[in-house]
Amino acid sequence: MDTATAKATQRETEDLRDPAYLKIRDLIYQISGIYQSEEKLYLLAARCARRMTAVKAKTPAEYLEHLTVRGNREAELRLLLNEITIGETYMFRSTPQLDAMRTVILPQILQAKSAMGFKRLRLWSAGCSTGEEPYTLAMFLLEQSETLLAGCTFEILATDINENSLTAAKAGVYGEYALRSTTDLLRRKYFKTHDEKRLQVTDQLKSLIRFDRVNLSDDSKMIFLKGMDLIFCCNVLIYFDLTSKRKVMQHFFSNLLPGGYLFLGHAESLYQVDDRFRLVHFPGVIGYWKPPVGYTGGGKV
Amino acid sequence: MKTLDEIRPKIKALEVMPTIPTIIHPLAAMMQMPADRVDLAKVIELVSYDSTIAAQCLRMANSPLFGRRNTDNIRSALVALGLKRVQAILLGCCLSRIVPPDKWALDAISFWRHSLACALVSSKMAHLIAYPDPEKAYLAGLLHDLGILVNSTVFTEDFRGCVEAAHNRHVPLHIVEQEFMGFTHCESGKILAEQWHFSADIVQVVELHHFEESLPVSQPLVSLVHITDLLCRLRDLGYGYYETMGIDLVGEAAWDTLVRHYPALANMDLARLTLDIDGAMDEIVGIVDAVFAHPYQAA
Repeated sequence: MDTATAKATQRETEDLRDPAYLKIRDLIYQISGIYQSEEKLYLLAARCARRMTAVKAKTPAEYLEHLTVRGNREAELRLLLNEITIGETYMFRSTPQLDAMRTVILPQILQAKSAMGFKRLRLWSAGCSTGEEPYTLAMFLLEQSETLLAGCTFEILATDINENSLTAAKAGVYGEYALRSTTDLLRRKYFKTHDEKRLQVTDQLKSLIRFDRVNLSDDSKMIFLKGMDLIFCCNVLIYFDLTSKRKVMQHFFSNLLPGGYLFLGHAESLYQVDDRFRLVHFPGVIGYWKPPVGYTGGGKV
Repeated sequence: MKTLDEIRPKIKALEVMPTIPTIIHPLAAMMQMPADRVDLAKVIELVSYDSTIAAQCLRMANSPLFGRRNTDNIRSALVALGLKRVQAILLGCCLSRIVPPDKWALDAISFWRHSLACALVSSKMAHLIAYPDPEKAYLAGLLHDLGILVNSTVFTEDFRGCVEAAHNRHVPLHIVEQEFMGFTHCESGKILAEQWHFSADIVQVVELHHFEESLPVSQPLVSLVHITDLLCRLRDLGYGYYETMGIDLVGEAAWDTLVRHYPALANMDLARLTLDIDGAMDEIVGIVDAVFAHPYQAA
């Protein structure tokens, strides 16, 4: 390591010891539910650095003031949250989530459903942004259709509040970033060439998804979205205040069938937001479970 | 299938293996003594018998996971971390040499990551719920899978078959051990733990961390390690293979036991603890690569 690099590393290490970063971390957790462990504070510092440059804050403590006492604090917090969650949208982003669905969740749900003669699954990507998540789910389910899901049908609802995002999602055109975890085999099966650098999802894949504009705070729409087996709501609730978050969680709880699951973003927590869901650990991922009537614990779900 | 009476003499024979560090017996005996009766000069003398162990011990003592103390000798590590933690670190370094490199059935690096993670998470959870002895919790987490060292070293071929089957079936190791060998690492570990005169509560953790429901009277330390063992296996700090699991930890009987004894657990932010484990992953990997991997790399 040369002297300049060593000095820069030392500066960064010293900078990370600034207690203002812990305060920013705690503020973000308290407001949005997104948590950064102490060992990963350097990631938070990097995200703050961009915003600090933008608002010309010289120290983390000064930036903390922008987030807490300045007039534009709410807008600044939103911009920082955007920085924190940027780049989290690409296809097959959470392999542990898909593994949990394949090994535990879908077998469990299908067993309960088939006992009642039902063979239809309903999944909802709530806050689908530009469509990476619902298309991932569609590909994943199609890949299971001759094995785990033999004899079953499924539908995927994908909603967002933003019309531009929905238009992009419906078009289904993606570049290398969105496809970086999509295998060549899946690219060949479910995409066609759009232009030199981008691929477009096939009509078959599109036909499995119903796109709709839904505001999660709109009670009149939320109460009609019933009978869900799985809800995915990644990095959406982080922008809601506690009261609104609780209301959305109440809706999600009644939107789900007993035995259904809610998945949030990987660093999001429902701590002190809702205690009716049971937090269930799968290898590498946490899900929130609406237990069946009569569940009294017992560990393994 | 072997009975416990059949496996006991074989485990006894493990005592004379050349891979057992000579300091392990005096160290284990010293760990049974109250801290105020331990002669610190003796601890320093023990460590200095073996320069590799001394270096491993310092590498761990200087990790950010233990507060990044910048200690450069065992004496200052003792002052910074306390006697109990240094003893536990030392014991871990000794244990890392027991299994000869060619006898590992599990991936050795995964095993040590799991053991160290369990030690750290047990200690952290102990602090969070006001368990009175976080150092004991650390030691219990570190030693809970002692039987895996025994099974690897003494019952190598049978154990290899178990690991392979558990790997292929994605099920917990102790289930396959029971099916194929008639005993699990819990029982073989208990025999060694007793041989080495570990304290009764540590022996109980080694024996019952997968079977805490069989305890006639609840033992919070066993419940604590049962929970942290599961948590670590669920956060990619398990035995190096995918275990098919979906667990409502709060619904576990062990959780109930802990809440009864330590009500603060009921308000613990479990999602946050889980993310803290992920956060500590890089450093755990770093320590294990630098410290515990040494004998295998040398081989």
